[in-house]
Amino acid sequence: MLDMKAISKVYQTEMVQTHALRDFNLHVAEGEFVAVTGPSGSGKTTFLNIAGMLEPFSGGQYCLDGVDIGKLNDNARADLRNQKIGFIFQGFNLIPDLNLYENVEVPLRYRGIKSAERKRRVEECLELVGLAGRAKHLPQQLSGGQQQRVAIARALAGRPRFLLADEPTGNLDSLMARQVMELLEQINREGATIVMVTHDPELARRAPRNIQIVDGRVTDFTLYQGRSAATPLAAGG
Amino acid sequence: MFIHYIDLAWRSLRQTPLVTFLMILAIAIGIGVTMTTLSVYHMMSMDPIPHKSDRLFSVQLQTMDDGETWRTPDDIPYQLTYTDAINLDALPGEYLRAPMLRSGFSVHLNTVSSKPFIENTRVTGRDFFTMFDLTFLHGNAWTEEQERDAAPVVVIDEEMAKQLFGKTDVVGESVFLGERRQEIVGVTKKWRPTIKFYDLNNGSFGEAERMFAPFSHVKAYDVDTWGNTNAWKFEETRDFNDKMNSEMVWVQFWVQLDTPQQHQAYGDMLMAYMQQQQKLGRFNRESLQYSLQDVNDWMRYNDVISEDNKILVGLSFMFLAVCVANILGLLLAKFMRRAPDVGVRRALGASKRQVFYQHLVEVGVLGLLGGGLGVLFAQLGLLGVSQTYDYYAGLANMDWIMLMSAPLLAISACILAGLYPAWLVCRTTPATHLKVQ
Ligand SMILES: Nc1ncnc2c1ncn2[C@@H]1O[C@H](COP(=O)(O)OP(=O)(O)O)[C@@H](O)[C@H]1O
Ligand SMILES: [Mg+2]
Repeated sequence: MLDMKAISKVYQTEMVQTHALRDFNLHVAEGEFVAVTGPSGSGKTTFLNIAGMLEPFSGGQYCLDGVDIGKLNDNARADLRNQKIGFIFQGFNLIPDLNLYENVEVPLRYRGIKSAERKRRVEECLELVGLAGRAKHLPQQLSGGQQQRVAIARALAGRPRFLLADEPTGNLDSLMARQVMELLEQINREGATIVMVTHDPELARRAPRNIQIVDGRVTDFTLYQGRSAATPLAAGG
Repeated sequence: MFIHYIDLAWRSLRQTPLVTFLMILAIAIGIGVTMTTLSVYHMMSMDPIPHKSDRLFSVQLQTMDDGETWRTPDDIPYQLTYTDAINLDALPGEYLRAPMLRSGFSVHLNTVSSKPFIENTRVTGRDFFTMFDLTFLHGNAWTEEQERDAAPVVVIDEEMAKQLFGKTDVVGESVFLGERRQEIVGVTKKWRPTIKFYDLNNGSFGEAERMFAPFSHVKAYDVDTWGNTNAWKFEETRDFNDKMNSEMVWVQFWVQLDTPQQHQAYGDMLMAYMQQQQKLGRFNRESLQYSLQDVNDWMRYNDVISEDNKILVGLSFMFLAVCVANILGLLLAKFMRRAPDVGVRRALGASKRQVFYQHLVEVGVLGLLGGGLGVLFAQLGLLGVSQTYDYYAGLANMDWIMLMSAPLLAISACILAGLYPAWLVCRTTPATHLKVQ
């Protein structure tokens, strides 16, 4: 599914150059559930953004489903993103003018799904995160945990094959966090590939595969359960 | 999706009411000013009689001696001498013709209760009504005999009939022009072309006359023009008879020529006429020259749209540009503040084009609102124009073309203002705003 070879990312600001990623190699197979841990500022979000084609990379090669991302134009990337990828952001990034229902509906609209089908899916996903009764509320009327759940519902509504989650449980209490984890595990069982950044070691342990990013590199590789896709670091399948 | 974008636009505009109000006001003022000048310009440049403007011709003859110049582009006087007007009127041929001049009378009913008032009067031939599309509600134009005999008859319009008698069917009634009693033989429907194209001598936009008298009255009752009389050489004129026989120009002359053949034949006839007049000692020139200009050429020739008006339209567009620049600034700030939302939308699968489109719809909605208010401002502006300058009275209004173009212009202006901010907001990498949390 995801195949990164020697990816590097340099942020150039006026004074400093930040190497957010360097010689970053990773292969994630279809259907995997990967937990990413690492210290703050190590490049986890940068990695997810590049994986989701939200920002360009400075060097290396990135293939998604065998398609060389570096060779695609912006439109094609938007299409790919729309068709395959779901995001749960570190900040919730809900759109403040839209109510919960409409927020969850956004990716479905861009995918051109008919209104009746959109309604069905939005209601289903809000139900799933326990917020069906609040569909008409605006994001600012919700607590942080509730907003996070909306963000999760929004990511799930599009039924992405590839879900990128940046600390999806960061704002949730441990009970809620476990529920979200169960949700993710369920959609993983249904076939979605998941890459999840987390600070919570307990949650990370529940994931079949763990990687750690330190200083822009994948430095650790832990296999908790045997998985065929598990190949040594930097091998890239 | 379009409806959805309209919905989003509406919410976004309501989200920042003050900024929205300022932008709508800016575009409305710009449109108001532009549409005011443009409407006046549009009315000025409009064909006043579209279905036959290319068949009605103003006749000019070069009566002046060689070496004399006039303030027209081709040095031919605008008007004719009385002699020429009478002679041309008498030329043979099956075409409509009308000598004419503007005069005026003190009009009353010769009763104790009727208060006399001054009324501009078109003194002209009976073909005038057919040529310029006047319709009769009652009666008709005076007959050929009445015309020849300078019979004491007049035609008035419905408005004047009501003013005098309180009704329109007043054929057979008498009206006094000063001391003279005249019989009303016809009542026309109200006729007010926006441009007084048939007589551009004293203001192109004055009101058309409401009363008409036979041209033969000029000689019969010494009816002088209330318009311009121009002389190009010294002639002693002691009385009106001298003026009628002089080389002064003070009469307009129009013909209706329906085919190119008629046009050609009429031109030939004019040449022959001038040659014949030369034998009588007039037209002291090497080469004889006449001019036949149709309605639109005639208006151009007379500079109906002055240079000032064009400059005014230009200035108003510059003012609109200033408004657009202001809106651009406000939009830029507004859109950039919303950039994080755009980042989210992009991350969720919106293409640049969709984001761009969404923002253009928003500025389009802004333009529509501003255009609506702008029309209102323009109406106020035109009201101001017509109240301040009587001269423009007939022109200061918006026809449906102008009413339609106001919102279109407003939307285009707003889209112009929105292009750069919209491009900027959809150009940024989606991640830029997602991380900053
Ligand atoms: N847009 C940016 N401009 C400049 N530096 C950035 C930008 N985004 C991230 N960085 C830097 O890149 C490094 C990695 O950041 P990030 O991927 O957000 O880390 P993490 O998510 O692991 O906390 C940090 O040092 C951060 O300061
Ligand atoms: Mg992060």
